[in-house]
This record gives sequence, C-alpha cells and structure tokens, in this order.
Amino acid sequence: MRFSLILSQLSQGMGRTVTIFFLTLIFSLPLGLLISFGRMSKNRVISSIVKIYISIMRGTPLMLQLMVVYFGPFYLFGLNIGNWRFPAIIVGFSLNYAAYFAEIYRSGIESMPVGQYEAARLLGYSKIQTFFRIILPQVIKRILPAVTNEIITLVKDTSLAFSIAYAEMFTIAKQIAAAQTTMIPFVTAAVFYYVFNWLVAWIMELAEKKFAYYR
Amino acid sequence: MKKKLVCGMITAAMVTALFTGCGSDTAGTSAASGTSESSASAASDTTGSSAVSDTQGDSSETTTFTVGFDAEYPPYGYMDEETGDYTGFDLELAEAVCELYGWQLVKTPINWDSKDMELNSGSIDCIWNGFTMNGREDDYTWSYPYVDNSQVMVVSESSGISTLADLAGKNVGVQAASAALELLQSEEEGGQKALADTFAVLQQFPDYNNAFVELQAGSIDAVAMDIGVAKYQLKTRGEGFKILDESLNSEQYAIGFKKGNTELCEKVNEGLQQLLADGTFEELAEKYEIADMVCLEAK
Amino acid sequence: MIYLEMNHVKKSFEDLEVLKDISLTVEEGEVVSIIGPSGSGKSTLLRCAALLETMDSGDLSYLGQKAVTMENGRSVYAKPNVLGKIRENFGLVFQNYNLFPHYNVMRNLCDAPIHVQKRQKAEVEKQARELLAKMGLVGKETAYPCQLSGGQCQRVAIARALMLNPKVLFFDEPTSALDPELTGEVLKVIRSLAEMHMTMVIVTHEMSFAREISDRILFMDQGVVVVEGTPDEVFSSENDRMKGFLGKFRDM
Repeated sequence: MRFSLILSQLSQGMGRTVTIFFLTLIFSLPLGLLISFGRMSKNRVISSIVKIYISIMRGTPLMLQLMVVYFGPFYLFGLNIGNWRFPAIIVGFSLNYAAYFAEIYRSGIESMPVGQYEAARLLGYSKIQTFFRIILPQVIKRILPAVTNEIITLVKDTSLAFSIAYAEMFTIAKQIAAAQTTMIPFVTAAVFYYVFNWLVAWIMELAEKKFAYYR
Repeated sequence: MKKKLVCGMITAAMVTALFTGCGSDTAGTSAASGTSESSASAASDTTGSSAVSDTQGDSSETTTFTVGFDAEYPPYGYMDEETGDYTGFDLELAEAVCELYGWQLVKTPINWDSKDMELNSGSIDCIWNGFTMNGREDDYTWSYPYVDNSQVMVVSESSGISTLADLAGKNVGVQAASAALELLQSEEEGGQKALADTFAVLQQFPDYNNAFVELQAGSIDAVAMDIGVAKYQLKTRGEGFKILDESLNSEQYAIGFKKGNTELCEKVNEGLQQLLADGTFEELAEKYEIADMVCLEAK
Repeated sequence: MIYLEMNHVKKSFEDLEVLKDISLTVEEGEVVSIIGPSGSGKSTLLRCAALLETMDSGDLSYLGQKAVTMENGRSVYAKPNVLGKIRENFGLVFQNYNLFPHYNVMRNLCDAPIHVQKRQKAEVEKQARELLAKMGLVGKETAYPCQLSGGQCQRVAIARALMLNPKVLFFDEPTSALDPELTGEVLKVIRSLAEMHMTMVIVTHEMSFAREISDRILFMDQGVVVVEGTPDEVFSSENDRMKGFLGKFRDM
C-alpha cells in the first residue's frame, strides 16, 4: 500500500519533530523563568539587557535566529560547525521560546497580589520559599492558557528547523511529495500536526482541571 | 540608550557577517579557505574547517565526504519511493566516488537558499545535485561538467503555447534561487532578462510540486526548469504537459566545491574519470534515463 | 514587661507625611486599639510595627531587642537575620485575610510551622486541630479558602497567625471586609483571645468593640495621636476632633 509506505517514511521525521518539541520545552520553560527574573530585576543593567534580548527574540523571525545560531560560530569565530546542526536547532528554539515564556511568567508573577508576599513574610518564609511554595504554584495556574498557546505554536514551528537543513517531519513530507509527485504527504503532515496539537490541548486541559480546585 | 545602541550594533554586525559571507569568498570565510581533505590530523582539528572531515560522532579513522543536495530535485537527488533513502543519479555517482577512496558518504539535504552558507561554513564538502555552473563560474571551484543541461519551459498541453514568444503577457513560474531564475534575470550575454520582461509575472515558488499544482490549476501558464527535472516530472505526472521545443539556453552541471578547495576537487575529478573508464558512469546515466544528456569527457 | 516599643516614628509617602512623630508602647497582656478616620495613618503605623513598611525615622524594639535604631536622625534597620528572629515575636491578621488560596485550611495553618520553623508534623497538626476547634472551624480542615465565607476565612487567618505562637498579634481592620452579619463571629474570637491575655494591637472601626475589650485606646488623626488613654477617658474626651469623629459614628 502506498499510503502506509509514506507513513513509515514520515515516521522518522515525526520522531525528530517530537524530539525538537520536547527538548525545546525542557530547556525553554526553566530558562524562561530565569529570564523573567532578569527582566524584573531591580538591577537596571540586567533588566535592560534582558529587555533587549527579549525584544530581539520576539522582533526577528525564528528562521533567521536559527541561521544565526547555526552559522554564527563559523562566520564570527571560524569554528567548525560540523556537529552543531542539531544542537543549534535546540539552542535556537529554546532561546526564542524562553523569551516568550519569560514574558508569560512575568505577566503571571506581576499579577500576584502583594498581600501573598506580605503574608508569607510574616509567617517567616524565606524569599526562595515564598516563591516556590506560595507564588509559583499560583502563577502556573494563571499562565496555563497562555502557555498552551505557545506550546501549540511550537508544534507548528518545528518545521522551521529545515531553514538549517534539519530533516524533520515536514521537510521529509516535502521530499516525498517531490519524489512521488503527490500531495498525500502534505495531508498526512496536516493530520499529524493536528493530532499532535489535539493531544497537547487535551493534556493542558487536564492540567487546568487539576488546578481548578481553587480560585 | 547607549547600551541599547551597542547591542543593536552587535546584532546588526552578526547578521551582516552572515550575509556578506554568503555567496562570496571574502569576509569571514578566509579562515577555512584553502583547507583540504587529507589526513586524520586535519580532520580532528576543530578550529579549522576541513574539507573532508572526521566521521560525525565516532572517532574512527574513516573520513567522510559530505554532499549537500536539494532532496526535492529528482532525478538527481530525491527520496526513494520504496526505501525512504536519499538517492538519484548524482548521489549514486557520489557513492561510487566514495567507494573508490574508502570515504564514507554523508548525504545532507540542504535548504537550497542557504547552500552557500552551508558550503562556506564547512557543513558540507560540496554541492552535488544538478548544480548549474554557467553564470556561477567564478563563485565556486568546479569539477568537470558531467551533464549537458538546458533550461526549458513546461506548459500545459491545452494552453496553446508553443513558442517562447507566446509567453508574452503570461504568468511564468520558476524555483527560487534556481539556475533558471538566474538565467531569466541575467542581462549578460545569453541571459534571458529580455524574455522575462515580456511575462506578466515571474512567480517564484519553493518547489516543483507547488509549481505543477499551480500549472494544473491554471494560476500560472508555464514553469521554467532544467530539462532533466522536466522529463522526470512529465514522466511521473503523465499526460497534460509538454516541454517547449525552444530552450532558454544550454548549460552544464558540475560539482561545486568551496572556492579554492582544488585539492578535493581534483580528487573527485580523478574518481569520475575512473568511473567513466570502467563504465559505471554510463550505467548510472542509463539507470536514471539521462544517457542522452551526460557529457563527461575522458581527459 | 514591655513587648513592643516604638518611639518618634515618622513616615512619608513621597510628599505626604503619614506619621508625624508617633510613639507606642505595649505591655505584656495588654490590648491596645487604634481608632481614627480613614487616612489618619493608623494602618501605616501597624504596618511599620510589623516591618511591612520602612519608617523614615524613629526606633522600634520587641522585648528589648532592637529592630530599628536611630542614627543621625534616620531609622536604621537591623541585619536581615536579626529581623528574621524578631519577626517570630509577632503575627498579623490582614483586612482581606491573605490566605494561600492553593492550600487547604490545614495546610494554610501547618505549612509555615513545618517548613519554616521545622517543627514535627504530628505536633503541628495537633496544635492546628486544637486551634480550629477553638475557632469553631471543626470539619473545615480540608476546605479551600474559596469554599469558606469571609468570617470563616478571617478565623482561619487568625488561627494561622497563632500557629507560630507570637508574643504580639496585630489586627489590621480585621472586620472591614466582612458583611455586617459576619463580623460578630470574628470579634468573638478576638474577644476570647483577650480573655486569655493575648497581647494585641487592633486597628478597627468597631467603636463599641474597641471600647469593650481594650485596655487602652489611641485616637489618631492626620498622622498624630490626638487622644490616648483608657476606653472611658478616650470616649469622654472633650477634644474637638475626637468628638467630631465619634459624632460621625453615631450618625451612621
């Protein structure tokens, strides 16, 4: 059967797409938190550097950023970038998504009422305890819908990996389509993205329900 | 404000470095030019870019030969229908050269738009994929030409278009960054800018699949492409299209190496000569039905 | 023994001088109420005492331990670790409770004793259950703040403050956010604490309540203490501002 053949060829690319997706999340979610601290820092130098970083990450195309991350080490320092392709993709995606996540974290953290901090201080919580025991759990609940949006965008953005020639699922779909002069791989790709995002939305909905026990 | 300015300038510098390096052999690329294939010691040198580099990941003594190609360019480089592996005339030829020297072939499908960055940065050793040398003679170090190619127009059979002159006022498609596009934009001797100026629109598209769908749908009237590609497309798509008898030009395919990398280029040339002598070259040309187009000459 | 001592406290927000040279001393077991019109600075005074606001000048000490000292006319705060120790001496009940919404009642009470004071879980939970019983909150252990009425929330907040066994308990308008029919249950709890000789400083608008439970009342207006004394002395004061203030209450 022709379709099952296409599917089996696409599956390798799907694995790569899923890998990019998870590695990006693993790195960008904590990194985003760190960046949001920098953004809210009272130190003017730190906060303005972070602000510029965020503005560049949000203000330029991810495709271009991937090219800068991948080719940059060679053009700037003459380094051999032979084994750098896949790491560059993860670095590029993580840096970009961390910037978006940082702003989401910031919106959540700044929306917390000051009374929560004061209550925690009176009860003797340290700053770190206050953040991780009192503030962060509530922030996560507040930002979940915005994070879901970003994660769904990430699923679709994985196809940008081909700008530095990494053959993820969509690239392979294009290659099969070219070799076999058919549109079936594109339909398959669309279904794959849709199902993937449906799963993401479903999991995030479960997470939201888990946090629904309080207001 | 000052800090912002400095950061902005650094970013601008990075981006500029990226793009000035592209397509030329000047700024920033000198560090890697003039390097060659050769020994494992050069291959293990991480600061310089070696043309034939150490095998990715493992530390074995095998040298690799990394070919950059557009995987959407049958019959020269594409994904095999059955196995899902990359194959094609050019890739099998490259495989044969590698066998001669005991190299390990690495097939790297690249984004055609950034082929120069891939080559200059050392990510790939050569561009070997129906790569037209005409008009780019000075930009790369070229192997001997091995395929005679011409750029042609493919039209729908029912369109009533039969000569290039009929294309006046029509919508014509061409692949972005392709030789056909360069030809249609060239004002030099043999260029076809004058012809392109008669078109209503010269539409760039990312791949041939898109172009043929548009051709079928009637949103474009003709597509300019390499004859080899045109033949493959017509064969797999069946009836309904034709190639105009008048071709846009005649040109040749060769393997493009980074400017100055003559050592590796010579080695590949020698390999090709051997393959020509032992008949492998002819065999492959017949397998991919381009025997009437090959032009590699014994030296 | 003097539990809380504040001398010559001054505090401005930008150009607005909120506290103009205020002194307050609270003895062990004493219940002190602070009354006065909105904007008189009474909450700010309480928040300065609870180290939630920084005073511009003046000093502050708990049980003889200096939290804030005067140097060259400015307030100088002790080192963070010293202040941390001093904070253990007092608790505060907020107007809007500030319970942790993601913790249930038990966890609101027990989290700080277990994770901050590093006390044994079993002992902490036993104390929490006793306090909840006193507050009339038996059966609410696993409820979340959003499932409780305002009066119940405020009683949980009082219990939470008591869990750390403070020497002094501050109340910042504890009934102002409550519906009138719910204030009674909270006042009842505070009254029972007064009977147990808990040292308390209460900022309140509940005049009759203040008069009933206080050992001493401060009437503040425009950043100064206008009248200070026993409830009877204050409520029979001939001071014009005091009379005007009480008059507004009677009209309501």
